[in-house]
Amino acid sequence: MATYSNQHWLLSHIRNSFISTDDTGMCETVMLSDDMPKHYLRKYGNSGAGGDHGHRRPQKPPPGDAGPATTTTFEQRNIRQADQPFQDVDFICYPGLDLSDDEEDQSTHSFDIQMYPEVGAHRFRSNTAQKLEKLDIAKRRAARIKSINYQEQVQPPESEDFFKRKEVPQSAKKSANSNEDELSDGGFQSQLTEQLAKSPKQTQNRFIDFARFDGTSQVGMQTKRINVYLNMLPEPDRNYPLKICVLATAKIQEVIGFVCYKTSLQYPDVPLKSLQHYALYMTEDNDDMEDFPPLDNREPCSKFGFSHLTLAERRPLAPVTRVDYHGQLGTKSMTSEEDKTALAEAAVKALQNINLNGGTTDPGGAGGGAAGGGGGATAGAGDDSPNDNVKEYEKRLLNHNEMLEAPMHRTFRLNIIDKRFFKSDVVLGISGERIEIDQYKNAKFWPQKKPVSTSIDLVAHCEIVERRQLKALLRIWLKSNSSSPSFSTGCTSAPINASVTTLNMGSSSAGIAHSPSSPGHTSGFFSSSNIRFKHYDFDTDTHTADQIHNKLNCILEMRSSELRREFLLQRERKLEKRQLKL
Amino acid sequence: MGDQQQQQLILATGGYDHTIKVWQAHTGNCIKTMRFVETSQVNALDRTPDKTRLAACGYQCIRLYDLESNCTAPVINFDGVQKNVTRLGFQEDGNWMFTAGEDHHVRIWDMISAPPHCSRVFDCEAPVNSACLHPNQVEIGMGSQNGSVFLWDVKSEKHERIVPEVDASIQDVAISPDGRYLAAANNKGNCYIWTLTSSPDQKMSTLRPFKPIKAHKRYILRCKFSPDSKLLLTTSGDGTVGVWKTPDFSKCGELCIENYWVWDAAFSADSKWLFTASSDGVARLWKLETRSPIRDYTGHTKAITALSFKDEIVGK
Repeated sequence: MATYSNQHWLLSHIRNSFISTDDTGMCETVMLSDDMPKHYLRKYGNSGAGGDHGHRRPQKPPPGDAGPATTTTFEQRNIRQADQPFQDVDFICYPGLDLSDDEEDQSTHSFDIQMYPEVGAHRFRSNTAQKLEKLDIAKRRAARIKSINYQEQVQPPESEDFFKRKEVPQSAKKSANSNEDELSDGGFQSQLTEQLAKSPKQTQNRFIDFARFDGTSQVGMQTKRINVYLNMLPEPDRNYPLKICVLATAKIQEVIGFVCYKTSLQYPDVPLKSLQHYALYMTEDNDDMEDFPPLDNREPCSKFGFSHLTLAERRPLAPVTRVDYHGQLGTKSMTSEEDKTALAEAAVKALQNINLNGGTTDPGGAGGGAAGGGGGATAGAGDDSPNDNVKEYEKRLLNHNEMLEAPMHRTFRLNIIDKRFFKSDVVLGISGERIEIDQYKNAKFWPQKKPVSTSIDLVAHCEIVERRQLKALLRIWLKSNSSSPSFSTGCTSAPINASVTTLNMGSSSAGIAHSPSSPGHTSGFFSSSNIRFKHYDFDTDTHTADQIHNKLNCILEMRSSELRREFLLQRERKLEKRQLKL
Repeated sequence: MGDQQQQQLILATGGYDHTIKVWQAHTGNCIKTMRFVETSQVNALDRTPDKTRLAACGYQCIRLYDLESNCTAPVINFDGVQKNVTRLGFQEDGNWMFTAGEDHHVRIWDMISAPPHCSRVFDCEAPVNSACLHPNQVEIGMGSQNGSVFLWDVKSEKHERIVPEVDASIQDVAISPDGRYLAAANNKGNCYIWTLTSSPDQKMSTLRPFKPIKAHKRYILRCKFSPDSKLLLTTSGDGTVGVWKTPDFSKCGELCIENYWVWDAAFSADSKWLFTASSDGVARLWKLETRSPIRDYTGHTKAITALSFKDEIVGK
């Protein structure tokens, strides 16, 4: 298993495996610039000049003097900048694996790409097996088909009447039912004439040119079966995909045309726009993957491995999301709140400018989730509710942002209410994994207390207990660690750790005095089930309180926290009980 | 159900892409595609008179498809077929079917006995390119590659043979629905007309040469009479369809599909419309009065070589 400890091989393997199993056809775009194995290999080559790892093949020229084997295959631009971040990596290249492409490197570094089908974990079925299966299918099919031997002996008909001479009317009519004289011109009508007359306005289907990409029953041609969800359909129909079979050689543009053609046949009442308004989007179980760009119109559909796609109106690539993702994921820092709101606002404005009034003609599209909101890129005028659309989109966008940001680590400075009335200055840190409470550095007065760190799994709920003009009382409910039913002592029970008890004020009186929903005298614990809860109370300004409240609950919601549900349930029960008592 | 089937007026086409397509005649929408034999083009198509089945023939194959089911596999398949089967057709009650092939034989198939079987064979001594049924339902006109035109009475098994032009292959024969004319078109672009006469005491119609027409400069692929017997058309490799008027067989029009062969054609029952099948893979519907195409039937990926359309008279 020597190869498995080889980073270079592993990296290549991961990369190749990913590419070879990628159905989206997008990986190339995404991964184009960072071929890590190559970087590393190159990197190794450079640093290798300084500290020789001793694995290099002796006949290779040192990389510094631009040996043909390396420089010809690895692009120069990647080399220089790649130097710094990878400095400390002790990258080991096994002999033979650092061969450049033009040498006899047969290894693809991936199990999925195999030089010989017979070698490796999966052995392909032999031709015989496939042939046998085909024969079998043909046989079974043939069983349903009546067969007649063409060469069989002639059996003259038994009945004399089998061949019956019929009288041919000497007039120009086959049947004698209509009168001869009227024949002269247009005396009678055919069914075709009638049907054509009934649909005089019915011009030819404008997508008819795409009918030839129909792959059904094509012999000897590669075809592809795709289920396409049609976003322009009204609600119930939209959830059922249109099953199509196209020639594998058809380009995405042509697939769209073919889908439109099929749609126009199946749903003649649904107005369709022209082709360039539509695009095929990736779909996963009815889930719009709205952040992905549509499939490239110029690519043949055989390139993509999707079984399901969505035909929707082409929407502008949301620039917002991109900006945000990059700005924040990259740094994972605590950008100031102002920055973010500014960003979001700018984004919304940008979107407004791209003219979001999606469904110009069909109102169904406007309400229709992602695509409706996304709208067409065309400036369709005269829509009554572009603003609604934008607002909705905006709302979703902000919400989206919130969700996205929620798990990111952020800190807030606020006062924890301690020992019923003392306040101490603390820093509350919230991230997707945990919450941390640390004493603010310049706390005078109080002896240093150890910071508390609680896993998010133990956090049950966050609420704003009281809201005054500027200040708010924020309460975070946690699961109590102690399983013993020792709630009699109230405030000091169930500390996270001994020294923290002081921080854990979590008892009945202080906050409770003001809080309408606090559970009266029963102390800060709910004990109806085994789970026991305690809480921290914080005093801060309303804005911060809102932020924390939103952020934390967002995290909990996203984690679909059991604990939170349990907590809310318990509280509800409590309330009911109390009301009963009253 | 039967009514619906009647309402659904369909056009069937087949060609070099090994598929048979069924179209809604008045809209041009493809209803169904059926896989033909992978090794063969479709030489001819015809529907059973009850319109429920479609028969197709090609190289070494004859197949019948059920038009009413969703199944695209054939319901009847002929085994041991040799060479090309060039034509087939049904007797007006569907009692029997005829097939003509390059194996020199024209066969009559009893389609009402439990397993259909062959009840007559005629040997043309040369590959048979075409066959058509006389409206009296017992005579079959045939044309062979060595230039012979036959008229065969399947009841009495008598026949007559004429060779209108030496060194020419007869590509198609047609008998007018009123039983007056027999037309035979050859690969030189010539079309020969005979008059057919019969008296009650006669066993078989007699053929009398009537008129040769120099119809096209090239290969003629099909000739057909209109249901009202007033028109004869010839489709050709020169990309045109010639329309000729009876009884003088003067040219009264031409439809043009430039640069493509016109392989087959079919009239509507009132002789006002014409379907054509051509090598551009498109079937077309023409209004004969204006000679303009009004519908395209697009979908085949290769040349269309055969079509079948069964219309009906619905009254005034």
